[in-house]
Amino acid sequence: MPRRQLLLRLQLLSNPAVLCGVRGAVSPIAEVVGFSEEDCRAITLAVDEAIANIIRHAYDGKLDRAIEIRFNQISLENGKKNGLEIILLDHGAKPKPDALEGLPPGELRSGGLGLHFMRQSMDTVVHKRVGSTNRLYMVKFVR
Amino acid sequence: MEISARHLENTTIFDVIGDIDLANSPAVRKALLVELREKKIPRVIMNLQRVKYIDSSGIASLVEGLKASRDVQSRLILFGLSKSAREVLQLSRLIKLFEIYENEEQALAAESA
Repeated sequence: MPRRQLLLRLQLLSNPAVLCGVRGAVSPIAEVVGFSEEDCRAITLAVDEAIANIIRHAYDGKLDRAIEIRFNQISLENGKKNGLEIILLDHGAKPKPDALEGLPPGELRSGGLGLHFMRQSMDTVVHKRVGSTNRLYMVKFVR
Repeated sequence: MEISARHLENTTIFDVIGDIDLANSPAVRKALLVELREKKIPRVIMNLQRVKYIDSSGIASLVEGLKASRDVQSRLILFGLSKSAREVLQLSRLIKLFEIYENEEQALAAESA
């Protein structure tokens, strides 16, 4: 079992205006865990895209709904392997199955890139529906 | 984010300052579509030198602009991509579809592909 330590918990509204502030918090947290500058940018992108997806799809663009984000430092193998687990919680609509598949990038289309970015940026991206809550788990380990 | 336009002969240059994300990508999309679809400007150039961050909604706005430019047979050109913006465009695997230059001089001098 990985050891977990809560580094930061954020509670925010589903307003795109908050994205800038959240991005400002993510990179320093990733740095604390030991990620490179490039990985910090990738993690920031993944979190931004995850929140944007919640705002657009789970909350259908409503600006006043609650989103919670937990950043946990995790370690495996007696601390030899460190990583960051990010859990996003919302109480919006359950995603449609095709929304979790994403769309193939590289084609000249303007939708479906967000999930692709999240999967490219993180080692693991898993969605779970628990009661009326969507939980998105994203994990990345320091290389 | 701020977006302002400079108008030259047959060309509009948009100077964008700040992040392009879900909060403001609609403004970028609207600005591009007005110049391309409504005004049918032959060449629209995006100065992204002061854009430190762009997400999938920003890329989607640029894609909409690119589609519009193809529909009206004009050109959409980008220049001054930050490391972060370039990484995101590469991740989208759409980077080769765009006409991209290092600076404004090159963007203005570039002949149509």
